[in-house]
Amino acid sequence: MAAVNEINKGMNDRRATYIEYAQAVPLAYAIDPDACIGCGLCENTCLAKAVKYNDKEEETTVTVGSVILSPGTKGYDPSNLDFLGYGKFPNVVTSEGFERILSAGGPYFGHVMRPLDREEPKSIAWLQCVGSRDINKCGNGYCSSVCCMYATKEAMIAKEHIHGDLDAVIFNMDMRTFGKDYEKYFLRARDKEGVRYVKARVHTISEVPETGDLIVQYVDESGERKQETFSMVVLSVGLTIPDSAVELAKRLNIELNHYNFVATDPFAPVETSQPGIYTCGVFQGPKDIPGSVTEASAAACLAGADLSEARGTETKTVTIPEQKDVSDQEPRIGVFVCNCGINIGGIVDVPAVQEYAGRLPNVVFTDSNLFTCSQDTQEKIKEKIKEHNLNRVVVASCSPKTHEPMFMETLEACGLNRYLFEMANIRNQNSWIHSKAPELATQKAKDLVRMAVARAGTLKPLAQKVISVTQKALVIGGGVAGMNAALNLGRQGFDVILVEKDAQLGGFSRKLHHTIEGGDILAYLDKLIGQVNAHERVEVITEARVTGFGGYKGNFTTDVEIGPGKEKRTIKHGVIIVATGAVEYQPKEYSYGDDDRVVTQIELADRLEEKGASDLNTVVMIQCVGSRNDEMQECSRICCQNAVKNALHIKKENPDTQVFVLYRDIRTYGLLEDFYKEARERGVIFIRFENDAPPKVKASAEGILVSVKDHILQRDITIRADLLALSAGMRAADTDELSGIMKLNRNQEGYFIEAHVKLRPVDMPGEGIFLCGTAHGPKLISEAISQSQAAASRATTFLAKPEIKLSAITAKVDTEHCVKCLTCVRTCPFGVPMFNTELGVIEIDDALCHGCGSCASICPRQTIKLSFYEDDQLACKIDALLAGGM
Amino acid sequence: MIVAKRKPFDEIKDFLKDYKKVLTAGCGTCVAVCLAGGEKEVSVLNAELDMARRLDNKPIELGAITIERQCDREYLEALDSMVEGYDAVLSLACGAGIQFLAERYPEKPVFPGVDTTFIGVNQDVGWYEERCRSCSSCVLGMTAGICPVTMCAKGLYNGPCGGTNKGSCEISKDQPCAWYMIYERLSKQNRLDNILKITPVQDWQNQKPRTVIQPGYKTSENSAEK
Amino acid sequence: MRLDYPSNIKIIRVPCTGKVDVMHLLRAIQKGADGVYAVGCLEGACHYNEGNLRARERVNHVRRLLEEIGIEGDRVRMYNLSSGEGPTFAAYAREMAENIKMLGPNPLKKH
Repeated sequence: MAAVNEINKGMNDRRATYIEYAQAVPLAYAIDPDACIGCGLCENTCLAKAVKYNDKEEETTVTVGSVILSPGTKGYDPSNLDFLGYGKFPNVVTSEGFERILSAGGPYFGHVMRPLDREEPKSIAWLQCVGSRDINKCGNGYCSSVCCMYATKEAMIAKEHIHGDLDAVIFNMDMRTFGKDYEKYFLRARDKEGVRYVKARVHTISEVPETGDLIVQYVDESGERKQETFSMVVLSVGLTIPDSAVELAKRLNIELNHYNFVATDPFAPVETSQPGIYTCGVFQGPKDIPGSVTEASAAACLAGADLSEARGTETKTVTIPEQKDVSDQEPRIGVFVCNCGINIGGIVDVPAVQEYAGRLPNVVFTDSNLFTCSQDTQEKIKEKIKEHNLNRVVVASCSPKTHEPMFMETLEACGLNRYLFEMANIRNQNSWIHSKAPELATQKAKDLVRMAVARAGTLKPLAQKVISVTQKALVIGGGVAGMNAALNLGRQGFDVILVEKDAQLGGFSRKLHHTIEGGDILAYLDKLIGQVNAHERVEVITEARVTGFGGYKGNFTTDVEIGPGKEKRTIKHGVIIVATGAVEYQPKEYSYGDDDRVVTQIELADRLEEKGASDLNTVVMIQCVGSRNDEMQECSRICCQNAVKNALHIKKENPDTQVFVLYRDIRTYGLLEDFYKEARERGVIFIRFENDAPPKVKASAEGILVSVKDHILQRDITIRADLLALSAGMRAADTDELSGIMKLNRNQEGYFIEAHVKLRPVDMPGEGIFLCGTAHGPKLISEAISQSQAAASRATTFLAKPEIKLSAITAKVDTEHCVKCLTCVRTCPFGVPMFNTELGVIEIDDALCHGCGSCASICPRQTIKLSFYEDDQLACKIDALLAGGM
Repeated sequence: MIVAKRKPFDEIKDFLKDYKKVLTAGCGTCVAVCLAGGEKEVSVLNAELDMARRLDNKPIELGAITIERQCDREYLEALDSMVEGYDAVLSLACGAGIQFLAERYPEKPVFPGVDTTFIGVNQDVGWYEERCRSCSSCVLGMTAGICPVTMCAKGLYNGPCGGTNKGSCEISKDQPCAWYMIYERLSKQNRLDNILKITPVQDWQNQKPRTVIQPGYKTSENSAEK
Repeated sequence: MRLDYPSNIKIIRVPCTGKVDVMHLLRAIQKGADGVYAVGCLEGACHYNEGNLRARERVNHVRRLLEEIGIEGDRVRMYNLSSGEGPTFAAYAREMAENIKMLGPNPLKKH
């Protein structure tokens, strides 16, 4: 029976028995009760008797110690906004629908087509803030936080997928690309990929009946009425809370705010009004994936702290079968070629690649799969390994970076050593980039498979060493983030040492007064410092400087110098949380430092706290000082809300003070939008300027004269201000010394780099090292708190285990042929190789070796081998590639 | 340690121009340690030779072996079965090793792949400095552990000469005066009287190869010592 | 990011460019590759401190060795970028391919 495919937004059909989408977990069929006609054929047909046709919903009771609510979000349904024509004009789709159009598993298999006639669009308009920042039509006053980025991404991918030129236009009020590295992405879209950004809110869409094209009408910034015609329109719909989640909250007696997000305190961002019940993701407030993943870990941290006493009491362990010894066997290689939906199969001739692989030396079995990474394929691979007695496996699919560990586990599950595995990346390095030349892509896929097979034949089983873990944490930085990380780890039941370079805890937050919601930061800080000092598991060391560092995950050693006397102490610990913070940018612009009437927002807040605003006639604020410019491309994220916060403070104290905010885009994301609205309601004037026409500032006896071109008036205006507040951006704290000693990577802006932006947002690339607070990038206090809870949670996963397995990719010395020339000792970036004076040999400690291979490539007698990357394991790839005749 | 450096490629290539099958023999001790003649350098040189000869349309067949030391006959033995199959041998050992190898296979042309340069120390990876000229009459005991034969431009046993110039040698400002250094160090050790002692000059004339037999190691075979 | 670059470029994964040996680079040319290049982290940002600096030294060494033999040293290059710079990666790939196109095929292939 056919049914409408909801996941593809109704753009195609599916059957009444169906799998929702290819990556669904669990990957199992379900029966759609609305479409089912009750024939019962499925139950009778299934040989495995897996279909329970008359299965009914059941209620069960589980007893738990904590609850986490993460019911997720629902895209806003724009059907009621009749002026947009959604549901009426087929070529108007929502952003969710467009995501499906772009997807290989979508209705058009990844080919960008418009629904009406399946023609490739020549132009697409994205309309921002549909169902967001709109109290007029839908009551959602908040900003959904994610739409500016996803629209930009969709525009870029569409441009890439479409064969001709695509005119991609994003109609927006403000571009809110405030996340870490987001501004760079936006600039690339605009300046390099040619995505057009138009400042306007579209008021009417109508259809050209003959063509299905859409006429988009809007008023531009100068007030002029305009219209443009597009092949397609994408409505960038906002995030909403589904009714079911609201019901759930009611049943649990959880307080929600006026937009149905969970009501939370800025200092307790993932705690609900019910103790023991936590929340994360969009239910907490609109946010993107990194934010949601971070909050998920934060919620897990608090939920886990409540249960810490019971940790490990109900765990089940997976038993891995004993490893088969294949060392004496000739290589028997199995090659599994992945279609990755149509990601690979749509371009590369997968059957031809599979057939080719079958003819390569040592290959005894080949197969191809729609998604080699799916759960059922893992089972299939296991069967084939056993059936064909495979002792090496090659998967030709995507990146080992993302999928190698999973396939390695599959090998282990059938008794094969995990290192007898090799991947050929025929997607990211091939089909994705050579999509316009399928024949070349097929040839290259064969080359890559041949190289992988050659290497697979040379692979050897490697043993992973098991080491014990020092179940103690070191937190570097005693600001809000560091203290929260330490306190939460203490609550999880682990000893923590918190080192702070200053004499006092608190960090940058000491300079702050209130959050925009009105939370008293100093009172919070006092309480937090009290809790940290009082916690029996947390030891605080102030005036501490890290001077030395060594060891490895689970067993680190850090040297610190403490106090004016430089007292030395060595700390042994299993994990590190880096929370070194950030500082306010010291402006060089706009006469700052030359004139007392020019201050930063932090200084303005101090002044308002001390003297109020009664003596101020006019205050001007300039945004993006030291952010979003050539020197610092990134957005500092917090300055818009800071300006709005101070503007509101002034207006509340003295409604007669005129406040002007000169801005480029107001980025009051999420629920902060309410405060932006309130500021406008209270008479704060917001004037937009372009980056290439910044305001001009002149000091005079009568005041600071600020000139700026008003976009609505289309002329320069001059404001005489008593006070000019610069929204100075954030700068990473100076961590040159620390990052050198601890060998931690930072980005161009000096912020530490996480292991993966979305998937591992608080892990650092080095194992056992975590990151939180503004050391990661600019953020609000509430965000720093949830991130520090997340870091504590991630660190807990490490500390909770008394022992860990090490990577087997380490350097090994053949001591028999080693001439002890010390070249490796002098070359190793981590000082690992040592001359053992007792045994008289050079030794490389497995646990310390980082596996970079520097020693192996410099050994004059070629006696050092890096496991998994031995010389012949690399050379055979070169040979195999070139044997094909390039 | 003996320090050597790779000969210019063109020179090596010229040595081998008439041979079609050559064995490149590395040495696993001094020259390996100074990154000039171990397994790594053998394979790099062979790769170069292979490519260069192919470009000249005169392909060459190359063998590779690195033994512990070419200055020990027991280790050289490993070559016996191989050498026969080659037209020539290219040795990356020091001058001593090369000669010992050449001596063992008198009918085979043997060529040096390195220039043996000095006895020196390791300052860092790939960085060596000369410290000894093996003069056979060590004066380090009187010169505070600084060798004037090596460090002094004139190799003076008694110095300094009139060319000493505020710590530098007259030949270059960057070249320290050995005898100035000796004076400074002796003075720190309160042993300046040593500098006044006259050391008889070394007679470098009529040199012949020297032989050393350590006391207690004399056997009937080597007792022919002069 | 799915940025296009020439399909005649194949990637061999190493843990760090510090693992890239003179022999690996020479071998590629010896076996008939028209060019070979190492792509490492930005200088000063090596995950293993100075692996990329050592790699650059080695690349320069190999370039000299090739020149000695009579093969253009510019067939071997080193590029640096950060992992977030997909477009730069693609740009370097195209640049390298252009460079090789200009130099023509590996002269060894005729022999």
